[in-house]
Amino acid sequence: MKRTMHIDRLGIISKILLIGFIFSILSPLVVIVVWSLAGRWAWPHLLPENFSLRGMQELFGGYSGAMETLFFSIGLSLVVALLAVIIGTMTARALVFYDFYGKRVIDLSTFLPIIIPGTVFAMGINVIFIEMGLSDSVAGVIVAHLICSLPYAIKIMTDITQAFGRKLEEQAAVLGASFRQTMAFITLPSLLPGLIASGCMAYIVSFSQYFLTLIIGGGTVMTFSVKMVPYLQSGDRTLASAYSLVFVCSTLLVFIIFEKTIKKFYRDESRYYFA
Amino acid sequence: MRKAVPYILLLPVMLLTLIFIGGIVNVIIQSLGIIPSLGLYKPTLSYYQEVLSRPDFLSSIAFSLYISFVSSLLAAILGVLVCALLVGNGLAKGKIMQITKIPIVIPHTVVALLIINIFSQSGLLPRLLYALGLISAQESFPSLLFAPNGIGIILAYLWKEIPFVVFFVISIMANISTTLGEAAQNLGASPGQSFRYVILPLCMPAVKNAFLIIFAFSLGAYDLPFLLGATAPKALPVQAFIEYTHPDLLHRPYAMALNSIMFFISLIIVVFYYRLLQGNLKKIER
Repeated sequence: MKRTMHIDRLGIISKILLIGFIFSILSPLVVIVVWSLAGRWAWPHLLPENFSLRGMQELFGGYSGAMETLFFSIGLSLVVALLAVIIGTMTARALVFYDFYGKRVIDLSTFLPIIIPGTVFAMGINVIFIEMGLSDSVAGVIVAHLICSLPYAIKIMTDITQAFGRKLEEQAAVLGASFRQTMAFITLPSLLPGLIASGCMAYIVSFSQYFLTLIIGGGTVMTFSVKMVPYLQSGDRTLASAYSLVFVCSTLLVFIIFEKTIKKFYRDESRYYFA
Repeated sequence: MRKAVPYILLLPVMLLTLIFIGGIVNVIIQSLGIIPSLGLYKPTLSYYQEVLSRPDFLSSIAFSLYISFVSSLLAAILGVLVCALLVGNGLAKGKIMQITKIPIVIPHTVVALLIINIFSQSGLLPRLLYALGLISAQESFPSLLFAPNGIGIILAYLWKEIPFVVFFVISIMANISTTLGEAAQNLGASPGQSFRYVILPLCMPAVKNAFLIIFAFSLGAYDLPFLLGATAPKALPVQAFIEYTHPDLLHRPYAMALNSIMFFISLIIVVFYYRLLQGNLKKIER
């Protein structure tokens, strides 16, 4: 009897702690929604004194260029995602289906951009890009983003390629399918969840880059991230929150697609995608 | 012909890896004072010597190590705690886990704003404390942001990294809990004992890996210390970028020396990580 009471109390404490955890994740996000619509909200008011559409007008009013920047940024990250998916798939096939000299080195080096600080890589590569004529250019930014997002794409594609193996492909070939037919009807459909998931991941990584874009793009390649940061520093919380809200919503949308795809496919949790 | 197939498939990734490594090598070369375009040819260690003797640079290194270590350690401990709570309540899958993943995909720049909105001296937390009568004025709330104590940066990292640790550890913990954890309890262990002596030790490699990844990341990341840090001491990446963009180009080797120091620390972390990974493989093989 005493023991069950003890366990009950533990159960209640653990539920309170969990609610606290979820609250601390969600409440800051609710706060930016409120701030983005706030007019005057001075100390010590707990709620805005009045509401205003100033933040929304800045975003959607057409004079700030916010939407153009957003669409440009989405386009750039889509290109990065597409390239990451293609290269990730190729790399995964090589790593899973073939034995070759230097395999372990390649395996390890694909993972390096996650651990080696982005700042180091950004400054080092910028000097090289200046010499190659890639600095201050969209192409340079795409290459830099690609390097950061590839480890995730490779990891996801390696897992899914391993899971499927090549038995079905071989069977199709035995039955007389051409290489192109096998690709179109067997390989691509079976890898589709992985292709979508790694694309989403690469997109999110690319879309979130601030420092790398700033240094490689040199301020001329204006992504949403680069455009937003001066507002964060300005102290105008209504505008800063409005920009952040758009940022969060567009990222979460892609993340939901990622989750839905993964869920359909893997019964296990997707914990590996960040390792 | 068949032998060439993997190399053809690997061509693009090798090209990109080459650019990546080229960037790193370039950092090291320039940190040794070799920048032909600036007329510097002779390799020297003097930039490292100077970096390691100047108080402002040293405090940058110490500040970065402090922020990364404290935030990563707290994230690992609290992350494991949350994991245990989730697994204990049978919530390792489902809605709560989906909410837990949200901070992982929110960029650091936005996280800085979230922290400013709540913890600055005009933020919501001091307002709440004031409304409750716990503080008497705006100024009596301690300054956590833009302060040399780095608490704002640490809070921001925690918001992102606790969920990361949870995400990284939870599936392995849930697995162990339903198999070996329950076995231990059948053999008479209390839930606490089973967690302390069975589940936690088996999860430790995953926890350590998560710690190494977030430690390496936060040590070299620019965004949060740039947006939430004090004017002095500055974090390593921020200091390095200031030297990098200094109008006097001869400051560049200092930037690169600071970068190299970050690189070598992260290299040590890679070695640790790889050894942990190898150790795990051996355990599984046995």
